[in-house]
Amino acid sequence: MSKISEKNLIGESVRRREDFRFLTGRGRYIDDIKLDGMAHAAMLRSPHAHADITKIDASAASEIEGVLCVFTGAEWKAAGYGTIPTKSAVRKFKDGSDLKEPPHHAIAIDRVRHVGEIVAVVVAETRDIAKEALDAIEVYYAPLPAVTGLKQAAAEGAPQVWDLAPGNVCLDFGLGNEEAQKKAFAEADHIVTLDLVNNRVTAVPIEPRGAVAGYDAASENFTLWNSSQNIHANRDTIAEAALKIDKSKLHHLAPDVGGGFGAKNGVYPEPILICHAARLIGRPVKWINDRAESFLSDTHGRDQVSTVQLALDKDGQFRGLRTETLGNLGAYCGTVGPFTPTGGSSRTQGGPYKFDAIYYTAKAIFTNTAPLDPYRGAGRPEASYQIDRIIDYAADVLGFDADELRRKNLVPKAMLPMKTPMGLDVDCGDFPEVYKRTMAMTDRAGYAKRKADSEARGMKRGFGVCAYLECTGGGPKEHAVVNFRDDGKVGLAVGSHSTGMGHETAFSQLLAGHLWLAIDDVVFTQGDTDATPLGGGHGGSRGMEVGGSAVLQTSRAVVAKGKEIAAHLFETTSDKIEFEDGSFFEPGTNHTMTIRDVIDASNDPDKLPDGVQPGCLNIGTTFERGIISIPNGSHAAEVEVDPETGVVKATHYWVVDDFGTIINPLLADGQVMGGVAQGIGQALLEEIVYDETGQLLTGSLMDYAMPRADDIPPMHVGYFEDAPTAKNLLGVKGAGEAGCVGAPPAIVNAVCDALKGYGVKHIDMPLTPEKVWRAIRAAQA
Amino acid sequence: MPAIKLRVNGREAAAEVDERTLLSTFLREQLDLTGTHVGCDTSQCGACTVDIDGITAKSCAMFAWQADGAAITTIEGLADGDKLHPMQAAFREHHGLQCGFCTPGMVMTAVDFAKRNPDPSDDEIRHALEGNICRCTGYHFIVDAIRTGAKAMRG
Repeated sequence: MSKISEKNLIGESVRRREDFRFLTGRGRYIDDIKLDGMAHAAMLRSPHAHADITKIDASAASEIEGVLCVFTGAEWKAAGYGTIPTKSAVRKFKDGSDLKEPPHHAIAIDRVRHVGEIVAVVVAETRDIAKEALDAIEVYYAPLPAVTGLKQAAAEGAPQVWDLAPGNVCLDFGLGNEEAQKKAFAEADHIVTLDLVNNRVTAVPIEPRGAVAGYDAASENFTLWNSSQNIHANRDTIAEAALKIDKSKLHHLAPDVGGGFGAKNGVYPEPILICHAARLIGRPVKWINDRAESFLSDTHGRDQVSTVQLALDKDGQFRGLRTETLGNLGAYCGTVGPFTPTGGSSRTQGGPYKFDAIYYTAKAIFTNTAPLDPYRGAGRPEASYQIDRIIDYAADVLGFDADELRRKNLVPKAMLPMKTPMGLDVDCGDFPEVYKRTMAMTDRAGYAKRKADSEARGMKRGFGVCAYLECTGGGPKEHAVVNFRDDGKVGLAVGSHSTGMGHETAFSQLLAGHLWLAIDDVVFTQGDTDATPLGGGHGGSRGMEVGGSAVLQTSRAVVAKGKEIAAHLFETTSDKIEFEDGSFFEPGTNHTMTIRDVIDASNDPDKLPDGVQPGCLNIGTTFERGIISIPNGSHAAEVEVDPETGVVKATHYWVVDDFGTIINPLLADGQVMGGVAQGIGQALLEEIVYDETGQLLTGSLMDYAMPRADDIPPMHVGYFEDAPTAKNLLGVKGAGEAGCVGAPPAIVNAVCDALKGYGVKHIDMPLTPEKVWRAIRAAQA
Repeated sequence: MPAIKLRVNGREAAAEVDERTLLSTFLREQLDLTGTHVGCDTSQCGACTVDIDGITAKSCAMFAWQADGAAITTIEGLADGDKLHPMQAAFREHHGLQCGFCTPGMVMTAVDFAKRNPDPSDDEIRHALEGNICRCTGYHFIVDAIRTGAKAMRG
């Protein structure tokens, strides 16, 4: 089937190339790596949330047969290793002073500040011996008062996590025009205020974190295989900041990665510690977290409490929005932790709705809990929840119809392009149309009957909506390099990394489609700092936007060079050459050659113009995004609540997204659905809970409620493709995080709608049966 | 150390195992069958699910010596060379996997379920997956895959 070359394979649901190995057990994940002489490390983790370490006696552990070495913070300090710095893009207080960044050593030195912090490392012949030896290490702690909750940590007289951060404040932040916001509030007819909780959750990739480190004494080079989403940036930090070596001395690789969702983006202590161990013992060292350790030591996400205020006129016109947030950072800054509750949660305040003015202010707060870092969405789900939840709340308390409020206040197409009050560049889209299409999908006609059926069974049915606007993020640069091999295959290496999103398919699809090559001939490489000079990892829904654009840009460069070769052989100039349907040809002549012919010629000095070297089609280019893209869309959910038990069942789910151009609809669907399920998990099930002494109460999959198949409804996903963005080469807007941006407000709005008859106005996430049951009773009392 | 003999994916295996070695560890470390994954420590995630004498079990929840004399099928034993089992093929066709880590357990559970329930409803499929957690897909496409895979299996 012949198509325009530029569009070939774009928009097709190509089935995944990586699936064969995953389906047959041949994936190669971190724990599948076995090296000769490999030893195993285990981490001793603090049982205290806040304590001075007065003494560590590891002598008994060292003597256990099979133990190769034991080290603690004292040795680490003596060795002179550096700390793990934060890369938060927001680094200044409102008053211009610097963010408070405590030293984050890979292992605790003298004091622990959260349960799960590493205090000693054992390396042994086997994993079992290493774990056994942990029990033989005697650590003497002098416990200190701990603080875990946001409001408690921000209160006067709270235990201080760090002396350098008075009041436990790492950073305070403001964005927007506060004067204009206050003016809008003063002029508005109504001001509605709602306190909202974005519950603390964690990513729980089903593959726990792990790494394998090797050291070559002759070259002084480290090789680190890491279950990581972001090997280039993390190589720089691990090498230069922590190990204090040149980054060229660290070869960083990621094998197949079993999910990430942000929790494998940052720099963690363990890979640094095992690099040290590998050098110390002269053997490769593997470390694999078990699930209990993952709950203690993976970065957590969300954990914000906010006061949201919406100002509107008596006709329902929105005027102003003000959000004041406290964001939990845990005990350290994390790789980009302070950015999430500040910059990350500010930019999409107000969603796709029109406002005269918005003001957002936040404080990032230290507590004696595990560090927080991005979790899918990283600030945009929080912002989306705030605006779309307060719309329904305002409608309820003021007597508006929520649907009318949304339709009245969505930014009309005619206003685009625009800059939002928060400074976001919204270039294109049609929010009312996307909203309308979502509502058209929802079978509103059948709702009355479904509601009546529910009532007949003693159940309450509700319907909820969210119109979201978000933005991409992550590293702005990506590199794609092609290599035409003499075995007829085409190597493609990209610096971005898939943790399940399907880059091997989607990127190969772009290259093969553009060059009219067989997709099976593309040999894809990712996760290797030696394969590409730079890479931005995976985060901020940037894979297709930045990585895909790099692939297309490199493909275009190959075509341009191919035209030079063809022109030389046709004895004409390259501007006369066209490339279509896999052939280079000169219109109006019988000059034509296939891309395969051109590839062959590119390696034959006799067929190349003067000054052009053989291998000239092996090209790598770096694409740099200028301005972040604006994915947007609308979600709708239907739920059924059992008022006797408080159990909520999500029964229907509909989404229409504007992701610009869709490259592979099937993969895009997968991203949306997975994100929605995580959003439903946050709304109904999931919560990381610490007690007030800092003990983690949700430290296993028996305690932390992950969504299972019967918690998640069937989903209907559609796309609005009429507004591709010009901000990148593909016209894409980013699909990875939108699902969990829209789902929490849609679900909570649906539950509150179901419970309206009881007078329930709001319930904080997660909407567990107990909370729902209590809310119904409290509203009736 | 107990000596055990068993059949794994049709091949005889004999080994000495530590009493405390879990079956999942034995399969992964001693037989190099790394398709059986370990995603948790409380037998919740289901990534380690294998077939033991015709019954699916979580291989992290039993000792290797308990499988003495058993015939075990792991994810590596499902395909016929390069020809995927109909359930594997259905997962690929319906995009029922993303990162692939839960996938071996999902597929093993699905094959066993479809044998016992050749024409399941979607609700039955969702309930059958209560012992398998997927964090990537949101389950929708897994349900589609199992419906299709079951149909292909019943022929």
